[in-house]
Amino acid sequence: MVEITIDEDACVGCGSCVEDCPNDVYEMNEDKGKTKVVKVEDCMACLSCHEICPAQAMEHQDIHVAKRLYIDRKVNDVLNRII
Amino acid sequence: MEMEIEEIRGTFKPELIPKETGGDIEDYEEALHVLMKFVGSMSSALEQVSGRGANAIVYQAGKRMGHEAGKMMDKTDNLEIALEELGEILGIEFYFEMWKPTGQEDYTIEKGDETIVKLLFMDCVVRQTLRRTGLPQKGPLCYLLYGYMVGAVEEVMSIKGKLDIDHVGPNACLKTLTIKWGGK
Repeated sequence: MVEITIDEDACVGCGSCVEDCPNDVYEMNEDKGKTKVVKVEDCMACLSCHEICPAQAMEHQDIHVAKRLYIDRKVNDVLNRII
Repeated sequence: MEMEIEEIRGTFKPELIPKETGGDIEDYEEALHVLMKFVGSMSSALEQVSGRGANAIVYQAGKRMGHEAGKMMDKTDNLEIALEELGEILGIEFYFEMWKPTGQEDYTIEKGDETIVKLLFMDCVVRQTLRRTGLPQKGPLCYLLYGYMVGAVEEVMSIKGKLDIDHVGPNACLKTLTIKWGGK
């Protein structure tokens, strides 16, 4: 089961994820001016919300992570050593 | 950066391919990146020259591939079996599953003489190629998979089919497969 965590300190409340999600997984919490997850069960883990979020405020757990063979292994190795 | 190229020297007979020519993982990685760049630039050039016609050309190429691949599979009129077979045809590089929103009871929806099923493509070489070359999704190259699926479904089930792209994302793409019963 997918779990989505929103970092409320990072979320800028732009609502891009609300607009972009095809399955209406998110809604705006008008009181807080932040995004909230309302239909996690409909999340198909396309991660469009990750791509559009300017604050990178969300995290998806327990999802199928697609292969990304376009990522250069050498670059990855260097990054792994740094991070 | 200076690149070291290792020359392979050996005897080559027409009936024998020396195993040394197989290369290692780094050679495959290089080849994959070169191919992705080639395919990406071909797709973008095709779109530049042919406009929206590019989609039709790539679709036709995919459909032909799908028909060829479908010939190797058992014929069936059961959609679930057909999709399992399609999964085998497409392999792990195009890993997909049937998908439905929570409010929907079954994966398939019957609508007149049509059956509709939503497919979630999780792993996709086309997506990887597009992201490798910085091209947008839903372009001509996506029509390759579109054609491939339709060709394979038509071949395995001997019916007409179509695949619509509902949503594209960096990790998964949702497509709707519609099959029209009543033959070709």
